[in-house]
Amino acid sequence: MRSSRRDFLARSAQLGVVLGAGVPLLQACGDSGKKSVSTSAIADGLEPEKGPLRIVNYADYVNPDVIADFQNEYGVEVEITTIFTDTEVVSKIASGAIKVDLQHSMANTSIGNLISGGLLQPLNKSYLPNFANVIASFNDPWYDPGAKYSVPYTFFGTGIGFRADRIDPDDVAAQGWDTLWNATDFAGQVSVLDDEREALIMAMQRRGLFEINTLDPDVINQALADLTELIDLVNVKYNIEAYKDIPEGTTSLAQTWSADLIAGAAGYLPEGVGPEVLGFWHPPAGEYVVGNDSMGVLADAENPVLAHLYLNYLLDNDVSEKNFSWVGYLPALTKLNADYVIGAGYVPENLRVCVPTDEEVAKALVFKPLGVDGDALYEEAWSKFIAGG
Amino acid sequence: MSWLVAFFVVSVYAVMAVAFGAVDPLLRTAQPKWNPLSWDTKAMSRIVDRILHGDLGQVFVRTGAYIALALVGCVLIGYPVAYFAARVVKRRRGLLMAALVLPFWISYLMRMLAWTNLLQPDGYVNSVLRFLHLMDEPRNWLNGDSYTVVIGLVYGYVPFFILPLFASLERLDGRLIEAGRDLGASAFQTFRRVTLPLSVPGLMAASVITILPMAGDYYTNTYLTSGSPKTTMVGNQIEFFLQRSSQPQSGASLVLLMMAVLFALMLYYLIVTIRQQRAAER
Repeated sequence: MRSSRRDFLARSAQLGVVLGAGVPLLQACGDSGKKSVSTSAIADGLEPEKGPLRIVNYADYVNPDVIADFQNEYGVEVEITTIFTDTEVVSKIASGAIKVDLQHSMANTSIGNLISGGLLQPLNKSYLPNFANVIASFNDPWYDPGAKYSVPYTFFGTGIGFRADRIDPDDVAAQGWDTLWNATDFAGQVSVLDDEREALIMAMQRRGLFEINTLDPDVINQALADLTELIDLVNVKYNIEAYKDIPEGTTSLAQTWSADLIAGAAGYLPEGVGPEVLGFWHPPAGEYVVGNDSMGVLADAENPVLAHLYLNYLLDNDVSEKNFSWVGYLPALTKLNADYVIGAGYVPENLRVCVPTDEEVAKALVFKPLGVDGDALYEEAWSKFIAGG
Repeated sequence: MSWLVAFFVVSVYAVMAVAFGAVDPLLRTAQPKWNPLSWDTKAMSRIVDRILHGDLGQVFVRTGAYIALALVGCVLIGYPVAYFAARVVKRRRGLLMAALVLPFWISYLMRMLAWTNLLQPDGYVNSVLRFLHLMDEPRNWLNGDSYTVVIGLVYGYVPFFILPLFASLERLDGRLIEAGRDLGASAFQTFRRVTLPLSVPGLMAASVITILPMAGDYYTNTYLTSGSPKTTMVGNQIEFFLQRSSQPQSGASLVLLMMAVLFALMLYYLIVTIRQQRAAER
């Protein structure tokens, strides 16, 4: 299952005693099969409920000022339940452990399951006039045809983030993913994403294999062997900390998400260090993995109208810009393109490459659901990698 | 007995129901199987096979080694502190104990976060070592080294070690120590021949209390190594399977196997304790 940089906090917040594994164990249990599939959207023209609007989201993944503005504008309270992994939120919603109106940041590999499991309700677009602001590619995403159940929140690509003052960007561009395997001079300062599919796919792409949803055990095992080489070659780490580790200099290069460099430039460079020390490389369009998080309204939401109003609010250009200025992850809105966010000073020019272009999004390689057995192949390989190979 | 049923038997059975159960194909939540006749042992078999013939064996060995080394560290630090508090300090013992308990007021997570800052290349640990001329170049303590994990475990769990040991040492019959001195033994001999043997029950209790949480710890390693495959502990694997995978059965299987190992240790502790009690009663 896909994770994100917010996942890091998850593993920190759990009690670590071995018998305490019962906590996540119980969280892992659910009765998802009992919920009925919601097939109808709310009616047009309904008055918003009085709230409070209950949202589930990753920590620090929405600007608190945006939330405060929404509360003032609609005169309601907003309660945010913080979760740490996509897997966690799905299981908690399915088991009824948390009751919320709105899922703020769904991984696109989960949306199909949430829809099939009857956990999301169809959206009534009459409440979402700002959906017109969304980049065209997200009007009919593969994970939710017709965007009936979800609206995009942020999007980002996967590449190599690096310290441009230590590594020549031309060398990275020439070597591509091999840069990580050749970085023996930077042993201990190299990391890959703590995400089994992202990391294993990178190893496949290095060998020129671009079927990123492959279920071929031989290909996956070869990727595992290649990834395991990094342990001895460069003392590789697996984490989602590149957004701060690269700017702070403790990591010199990392497989990471493009948005992490933008966020890093905005908030994690030491005093006196400029954004020119940061670099990002990604594969060309057609080989570039671009992912996104999406928002949706839960099937059993008590405040569905208010939840729709919130979605619409987040799709407003100005609100979204305010949110981006704090979060650092790009919203999927037409207005906030590379020229705009660079011109407005949110993204330094040397990190223009961190903003996926329309062509890159249109031709993007995307992770698709693999089913339980398919996921298990990647998870088993990842478990072996993090065990030390 | 009802305590045992409520907090152990039922819990363990629930873990077994998950380990030998299924998973929701859509939402990946565990679907426990409560009827043993329908249990599926595939996940357990795969995990056992990986332990015996594959990568997970080294993870268990590594975890055991970290715990053993951390336990040694706890003894070296905890015993003198507990002894000092229990046998030497006469006044303000309450204040000292409050100081010992103080770390409990801060969550383990926050303490580990503090250490990640202290151990950064430009952190205070390097600054102090360089100030003392014990080091020329700053060291990256968070580079995936085993000793950093062991230091973290010692730091995190030494209070758990000190408190039961303190309670045990405080209850020592002082007349036995005085008798040792009266019979001509030096202070060291008295300690070695009288105090230390009498401390064994306390040491064992402290060790058990420390070992149990250390065996399942995963965030000490996660935080202090930035996620290094070289230092992965069993807890990391459990966390991965239970929190972030579609295979909760594998995570629950690991929990059961880890419990079996710990149960063997607990059994040994109980046998030794019972023998000592019987010997004392004679």
